[in-house]
Amino acid sequence: MKVVGITTQQEVYVGSRERNFRINEFLIIVDPHQGDLIGEVVEARTYNKYIPLSLNGDLADSSVLQSLKAIGYNVEEDTIYIARVRLLNEAPYPVEAGSDVRIPQFYEVKDLMINCSVEDGLVLGVIKNTDQMALDMDEEYKDLLYTFEGGKFKEQKDIPYIFNIKSMNQYPHIGIFGGSGSGKSFGLRVMLEEMMNLNIPTIVLDPHFEMDFSEVVDHLPKGKKVDYGDKFRCLQVGVDVGVRFEDLSPQDLKNLLDASSPLTDAMINVVDILFKKKDSYNSFYNRIKMLAEAQEEGSIDRITRRIEESTTDLERQGWQKRKELYLNYDKSCPYSSVRGILWRVNRLYNEGIFNNDIRKIEEGLNQGKLMVIQGNTRILQVFSTYLINNLYHKRRSYKDAQFNNSAVEYFPPFVVVTDEAHNFAPKGYECPSKAILKEISQEGRKYGVFLILATQRPTLLDETITAQLNTKFIFRTVRGSDIATIKEETDITEEEARRLPYLQTGDVFISESARGRTIFARIRAANTTSPHTENPFDELKGKLHEEDNKFFQIIKDKLPINGDDFINIIKEIESETGKTYTMDLFEEMLNNLVQKGYIIKEKTPFFNVYKEK
Amino acid sequence: MYNISQELKSKIMFVNKVLLDKYEEVLSMDRNILRSYINDNVGSILKIEKFTEEELKRYTQLGGILGVDGSKNRMGGTHPHFIEVYQGLAKSTLHKDKPIYKVDFYTPLYSEEEETNLLEEDSEKDQKISNKKLAAIEIEAALEGINMLKPYAVMMDGSLIRYKIVCSDKWQELKEECERRNIILVGVIKDIKTSIIRESIEEGYSLPIKECFYDRELLYGLLDYGEVILTNINTKKEERGFASLFMRSSQSPTVIGMDILKSQQSRILEMARLIFTLTPKASRGVPLWLDIIDSEVKIPDQMIRGLLESYLDRKILEMLFISERDKRTI
Repeated sequence: MKVVGITTQQEVYVGSRERNFRINEFLIIVDPHQGDLIGEVVEARTYNKYIPLSLNGDLADSSVLQSLKAIGYNVEEDTIYIARVRLLNEAPYPVEAGSDVRIPQFYEVKDLMINCSVEDGLVLGVIKNTDQMALDMDEEYKDLLYTFEGGKFKEQKDIPYIFNIKSMNQYPHIGIFGGSGSGKSFGLRVMLEEMMNLNIPTIVLDPHFEMDFSEVVDHLPKGKKVDYGDKFRCLQVGVDVGVRFEDLSPQDLKNLLDASSPLTDAMINVVDILFKKKDSYNSFYNRIKMLAEAQEEGSIDRITRRIEESTTDLERQGWQKRKELYLNYDKSCPYSSVRGILWRVNRLYNEGIFNNDIRKIEEGLNQGKLMVIQGNTRILQVFSTYLINNLYHKRRSYKDAQFNNSAVEYFPPFVVVTDEAHNFAPKGYECPSKAILKEISQEGRKYGVFLILATQRPTLLDETITAQLNTKFIFRTVRGSDIATIKEETDITEEEARRLPYLQTGDVFISESARGRTIFARIRAANTTSPHTENPFDELKGKLHEEDNKFFQIIKDKLPINGDDFINIIKEIESETGKTYTMDLFEEMLNNLVQKGYIIKEKTPFFNVYKEK
Repeated sequence: MYNISQELKSKIMFVNKVLLDKYEEVLSMDRNILRSYINDNVGSILKIEKFTEEELKRYTQLGGILGVDGSKNRMGGTHPHFIEVYQGLAKSTLHKDKPIYKVDFYTPLYSEEEETNLLEEDSEKDQKISNKKLAAIEIEAALEGINMLKPYAVMMDGSLIRYKIVCSDKWQELKEECERRNIILVGVIKDIKTSIIRESIEEGYSLPIKECFYDRELLYGLLDYGEVILTNINTKKEERGFASLFMRSSQSPTVIGMDILKSQQSRILEMARLIFTLTPKASRGVPLWLDIIDSEVKIPDQMIRGLLESYLDRKILEMLFISERDKRTI
């Protein structure tokens, strides 16, 4: 391998007769004057001058090449391999042409590849095309993981990619981008597994109900199997967790209602006026409801008449109360806005948000667990706004208290993770969850609160937030607008951007501010599987099979069945199992079993006979 | 912008008309009549087959095929202020790492032979010496290749007869060496310049051709892919000790020629098949092996210029070998 052609301080061409190059491979250029220079292959080509691409002339056909080989001359051996190599650090002078080039040893690239220990970092996968350098790698970096390639689990051959989570303190927040099927959700899963290994308190917003870590895959040898059972908990909004109404501040309540559907100024006013400190859901709800009912009556006279006409004390007291509310609030709270608040509160209540509280989440975080919050996207938007606000401010007041030397209960630093992040922090319009995510993206670092945001549409994600994502995992992306966004927001090069639409599932460019360059990696095989991995078409097939089998079990001991005897058989089945069939349906189902090979049908002159096989 | 003069245009149109008139006879001639004439009077038209891989493997055991070619670069202006560099290459299919290069040069300013009068411009003589030198280093390369690599056959780029004409003493050596060691020697002719078909007509056969046509013209498109004409008439070649054939070795309608020593005439079809096998179907008809050697022996003009600029004194170079033409910049 030698440096060939015209060289610059940044880039050289390397040619070889023996060895083909791979993209993203590292090479050391032995410059006689400047010493060893390390570079990365950014483009690899091969060329054979005897087999040129010629559109209008000689084109050696394979039979001739084969013939030449037969008489001893292998044209293919004249292929030369050419790599465009970009130096990692600009050289003071252009690289000397003709310099030798060699494959680096592990220790020479160690600092470039690995910047934290296995114990302290997230072991997310391997750095692609580093197998040759990995040969003399330290034992501690070997056999850490498996990769999944071509439908098989493979042992680790390359240098591991270890994400230095401590660097988040300086370069906070992670973005995970990639189209559907690119390996994004699966990459997120691997990342969460690693976070559980390190017992990092984490909240996962899971709109897809897929972040369950209880099913461990089979490929891991015994002893390497990891049980995440006690490291995570799935909590459903409205069932396991919710909002304790009594704890709500007026701002919290407004955020919740706003997340449900946007509030007008008048409605905000209604909440400010009608919501009292220490209100319970019932007290608040009743207040609004009674005011609305009073307003429906229309005038103080009619309410007074209602009081007079009341037949029970209870009723009278009720109307008395309504009258008070009417007198106090009718002027400041227009009926339509009161009604609007009423609907929104009611809707949240029906979704069960007020059923429970977030104590379980707080406890889990305090124990360093991964708390998966499940619910549909809308309810998660509502709940996460409250939840994250709440937890963030808990952490914040703890940290602030440290400075003030005041005593506030400890609350740990934590990480907020969400898939489909563009739903929680959309570009272009306001949304309550966006405000808190934005605040964390800008200030969270100081308080030890970090974001991991995954989305298939980085273009739709709020720009302020995108700009704060210091590490970006970029999986296969096909949409031009998203590629443009990625190019703008990362240090990914033109060549790498061009490769984005063609990346294999699970291959990823990792653009880390901490390293100042992009790494091409492959995410490791996950230790657990998502509950949604069954193919829906397999599911259909399985279901059909199940149905057939069920029917077969019912008729099995009635075989053989004669075609003129259906009526009796059907009666028998009805008395035994309670299932009723019409004659036509019964025959059709029998024929179906014949077709599927469960039973056989014999034709006689009078009727068909269905027999055991 | 280019201004095309009317006169230039009409002259070219005139050339077209003249040539069309001249070649009307050929172009309108019935293909079958000419084919049967050739079959009867010039040599039989045969169809040959490519070798199978098994058959080819035999050649590796027997020593492989040695391909020989030469190249020439010229720098400078007109006589006597120029220098020519010749390079010959012999390369065996079996020993790709042992190419045999031979190099020579010629400039009228320095002659190894008798003193010549420089003022007497003689470009014909230059041409002769140039051809001789080129042929000589090709033969030298071939000879060394034969001695070192012991091939089964030697394939020269160009007609064997050319070597005999321009460089007879060295040729004799090569010929005898090949005959002595029983190495087959063939020449592959890309541009055939013979006119043996025409010559055969003069001997009294009837064919409606009056003008003098070359074989190349008459044979254009006449043969099918894989057909050869084994010439069996007494031609000048024959008299000089060669046997030859024409062959359409690719889909291109032009025909190539091949010659072989008379003493090795029995191998002519075998060699024809070998050449046919090694020629890509969609090429211009030359065996790929010779194309490979051709591309390796060629020196880019820039490199020659660079060499001369580095190793000749600037004074000598400027004074003798840089023509005004070379200095033109527009």
